Order: sequence, then C-alpha cells, then structure tokens
Amino acid sequence: MESKTPLLEIVNLHAGIEDNKILNGINIEIGPGEIHAIMGRNGSGKTTTANIIMGHPDFDIEEGKINLNGINLLELEPWERAKNGVFLSFQYPQAVPGLQVGNFLKKSVASIRGADAAKGVNFRGLLKDSMKELNMPSSFLSRYVNDGFSGGEKKRFEILQMMLLQPKLAILDETDSGLDIDGIKTVATGINSAIRGTDSGALIITHYSRILDHVKPDKIHVLIDGKIVATGDASLANDLEENGYDWLENKIKSEGEV
Amino acid sequence: MNTINKYIEVSELPHRADHLWRYTPWKKVHPTGKVKDVPKEVKGPKIRLLNLSGTESPPGIELIRGVGEDIRLPESDDVSTNFIKSISEDSKWILKTESKFNSNEPILIEIDAVDEINGIQLTLDIGDRCEFEIVTIIKGSTNWMGLLRTGRIGNGSNINDITVGLQERGTLLRVDAISLGRDAEFRTGTVSSGSERTKADLRYRMGEIGSNLRVIGSILSRDSMHLDHHIEIQHDAPQTFSRLSWNAACGGKSKTIGTGMLKVANGSKGADASQNFHNLLLSKDAEADGIPELEVLENEVVGCGHGIANGPIDENQLFYLHARGFSPMDAKSALIAAFLNSTLSKMGSMKVHDWLSKMLYSELKNMNAE
Repeated sequence: MESKTPLLEIVNLHAGIEDNKILNGINIEIGPGEIHAIMGRNGSGKTTTANIIMGHPDFDIEEGKINLNGINLLELEPWERAKNGVFLSFQYPQAVPGLQVGNFLKKSVASIRGADAAKGVNFRGLLKDSMKELNMPSSFLSRYVNDGFSGGEKKRFEILQMMLLQPKLAILDETDSGLDIDGIKTVATGINSAIRGTDSGALIITHYSRILDHVKPDKIHVLIDGKIVATGDASLANDLEENGYDWLENKIKSEGEV
Repeated sequence: MNTINKYIEVSELPHRADHLWRYTPWKKVHPTGKVKDVPKEVKGPKIRLLNLSGTESPPGIELIRGVGEDIRLPESDDVSTNFIKSISEDSKWILKTESKFNSNEPILIEIDAVDEINGIQLTLDIGDRCEFEIVTIIKGSTNWMGLLRTGRIGNGSNINDITVGLQERGTLLRVDAISLGRDAEFRTGTVSSGSERTKADLRYRMGEIGSNLRVIGSILSRDSMHLDHHIEIQHDAPQTFSRLSWNAACGGKSKTIGTGMLKVANGSKGADASQNFHNLLLSKDAEADGIPELEVLENEVVGCGHGIANGPIDENQLFYLHARGFSPMDAKSALIAAFLNSTLSKMGSMKVHDWLSKMLYSELKNMNAE
C-alpha cells in the first residue's frame, strides 16, 4: 500500500524557554489540503507551538521532530522555513514604522516566491483581488506596516500576506481574536480561498468555535499543559464551548484518552 | 575689526563644559587642529541653483553674490560663525526669492567642494508668503568644508528645506542661524551620511507670533564617522510651535551625538514645543548620545517636552521580517531604512521623499554595519 507523506508531521515535541518547559510531547499530523485547529486554555502552549514551527530563536527544542513535506524544519532558520512554505499569522503582528506596506509585500513575495512573482500584471492582479476579497482599500499600500492599524486591520493584513505568499502550511495564531462578526467571516473566506482545493494545509489556533463554523476544520486538537489530550472532529469545538475545559479533563480522567 | 581678527579674538573661547562643544571640541573640528590658525587662500566651493529634476530653476528665485540685510538672527556661537566668515570672504551668496514665489518643482542647491579647504556663506532671503521646497546637497572630495547659513523666512511663507551631507571624506562644519517671520512655517531636515566628521550648530529663532518650526534629522553613520549635531530652538514670541524629531542609525565604530536646546523666553505665551532623539545602534562598537535640554522661562505654555530612546534593532521586528522570508541582511537593511524613513518621510513632499529615499538606499548599500 502506498504511504502518503504528510504535509506537516510533529512528533514527540518537547520544548521550552530557558528553564521553563512548555511543550511535553506534542504529536500532530496534517495532510495536504487539510485544516486542523488547536484549542486550549491560555498558557497551554498554543502560541509556543506556532512560534517553534516558525523557528523563533527564543525557544529550546529538547526532543522531537517537525517535518514539512519530509523536510526537517528544525535544521532551518526562520527565513528558510518561510521560503520552504511555512507561514505564521502572528497573534500580535509587529509594527514597523517607516516600512511601506506595498514595498514590504513586494519584497516578501520576491523572497519567498521569486522575483518574477513580485512584479508584472499577475502580481498586481493577485494583490488587487486579494485586497478586494478582504475589503481593504488601495490606500492601505502606502501606510507603514502595522503602524497605527486597528486590531481588525492587523488581522486582515496578515491574511492578505498569506494570500499573496501562497504558503504550503499556514499557521494562524488567534487570527480571529479581536475581530467583529463580519471580520471573522472575511478572514475565514481568506483562509478557505488560500487552502481549500490546494495541496496546502493550515493549523488554526483559536479560543472560539465561531471561526471554525466558517472554516470547518478536518480535526481539532485540544492542548492542555503542553500536551494534546484530545483530538476530534469539528463538533469537539462546540462541546468545549458549551462545557469548558474542566468537562474535558473530567471526561479524560473517567474514560481515559478521548 | 575684520573677520579674521574677530575670530582670533574668540578662538580660545570654547570650553568643553560648553553644551555645544562638550562632545566634539573645537580643535578637533578646526582644519589644522591649531585653533589660532586661519587658513589663507581658501577657495569657495562650486555652487549652482537648479530644479531637483535637473532643469533650470524657475523665475522668482535666484542665487546672487553678496551678503544679506542685517536682521536679528538666533544667538549663534562666535567661534564657528566667525571662523567660517574669516575663510569665506570671497564666497558669499544670497538665495533670494520674490514675495509670493511658489514652485511645485523642488529647487536644488548643489555645493561641490573639491579643494583642500572650502568655506561658504549663504544668506536666505525668503520673501513673504512664499511656498516651495529646497534641497541643498553638500558633496565633493574636500578635506574640510564650512557652510554658514543665515537669514529669514518671510511672513506667512511655507518652506521645506532639506540639507543633505554627502561629502566623500573629511570634516563638515555647518552653522545655521535662521529666523522665522510671523506665521511662517519652516520645515528643515538634515540627511547626513557623508564626511568623516561633522559638527553642526543649527539654530532657529521664532521671534514673531504664530511661527511654526519642524526640525527633522535622518542620520546614518558608519565606519569610524563622528557626527555631532547641536540643535537650538528659540521661542521668542507668543503662539509659536516647534517639533524636533531626530533619528540616527549608528553602525561600525562610529559615533553620533545629538544635543538639543529648547529655549522658551519669558512672554512666549502659548508656546508648544517638544524634542525627541532616537538612536538605533547597529553594532557593539557604535556609540550614540542624545542630550535634550530645556530652558523654559514662560509659565503659560501649551507644552514643552523632551524624550530620548536608544537601542539596538528590535528582535521582534527582525523575527517578523524573517518569518516573511527576509534574509538576515535584507531584514536588517529594511529595518534601518524604515527607521530613517520614519523621519525622512516628514521632511517634504512625495517627490522630495522619493528622491531622498533613493539616495538613502544607495548609501545603505555601502554601509558596513556588521
């Protein structure tokens, strides 16, 4: 039987920062075209997982592996991971006053997809269409990166970058936080249009089921104390929203692993 | 008393305790280091007036030989002012505009200094209700260049003035002593990435009601450059407004100094002033000082504040750009350019900004900030 290489494979990942251990053996496997979600309490290790996949230099990996299409990401620097198709939509995107959005997008697309992808009619067309889909005015391009952006503008700008960079793996760290109902729909549309029907995949980190109603993930993982304690289908998000994490912990105690 | 004697009389005056000379003593700026020396046969640099696009400047503005009218200028430093005067007797120019002179095309003054020692005096005689932008470039391979700018911005005029230091080597001594007329808006920018040593004493006086001043700096130092800018803003009338924003990126073994003096005279009711210095340190051997000082003698002011921030490139900004595929070198260059651009973009119109940005990026390419 032919075995298919997973898009993302995280195996027994143990990691932390300085002497503080955060992840205690995470296992996740995402196939091409799949969207997975991670839910969990504050401080459970969700953002740490996202940052480690992207290669944040502050974290120490004790054990485990992270492969993207069979490539060992842990051997790559963050910009090399980006060039290999990893994209992180940041929970708190950094402002860079003085760096114009238009120039930043061109440089980023050129770095990741090649110089030809960042010029000409095709680039301008993709930029225009993506901005229209996200309800972003063209004046956005002359502003400075995340400088003075509202919470919603920052999140939409992250999704715009995802649409232009066309990553193999998109990690969306609480991209729905701080967005109003229409904003969540807009962002969800952007995620679906970038991932569904492609060989790419996405890992959505969220506290709420609302965005998952629009994106409909293939799997949901629940992270507690740096470990995935439950994996289920989209209905798991609704159960958690109704009953809370205590319900899940009690259930695990009484039934063993879910 | 002629200018040489005037200079010799005051040449021993500057003391390191003096705010202006604390970080770059006069003998380090003087062409020979012997402060009593007044170099003979100093030639004036080549100077020409044109449009920024390279075409002929429009009617209504001209560069003529001579000295301007005697007006009340900001209190300026005797030593540097008299020294430049003593060596530039044959190189005195006036930039004169008619009243209501208006130009959409930015104007360029090009100063090309190629002799061993150069000195020039330039008087700004800007008429009332003028509106235009002027860029002054100082370039050339001179070993020592002195530029003294004095003058007045006419009532109700709105001027963007940018001085760009691109001297290939040596020392640049720059002195500004400029007064603003009633309701005049004067935006004066400094872009500096040339000369091994720069000492600038930039003073602006708002002696008439309603004048508005912005002093902006984008300073890039590299290798073993030593760039020292002193900016003094004098509020001498009610309802006057000033902002100082000074960004310096400092790499290699270079040193940048920014000292500010904000003086609000008694009677300057409703004055609104602030000064901010921001230094970006690009290497462990680079050094940057920012020293704002206030002297406020009027109680009824809108506000008088100052601030300073020094630091290396932000690690979170770096990671953000790395996550977007920027290599370490590209990310660093982009962040330095962004830092300098945040003041550069305030200096003038989009046309001037585009021109300055291209010039700055080309300077950044030459930078060895490792």
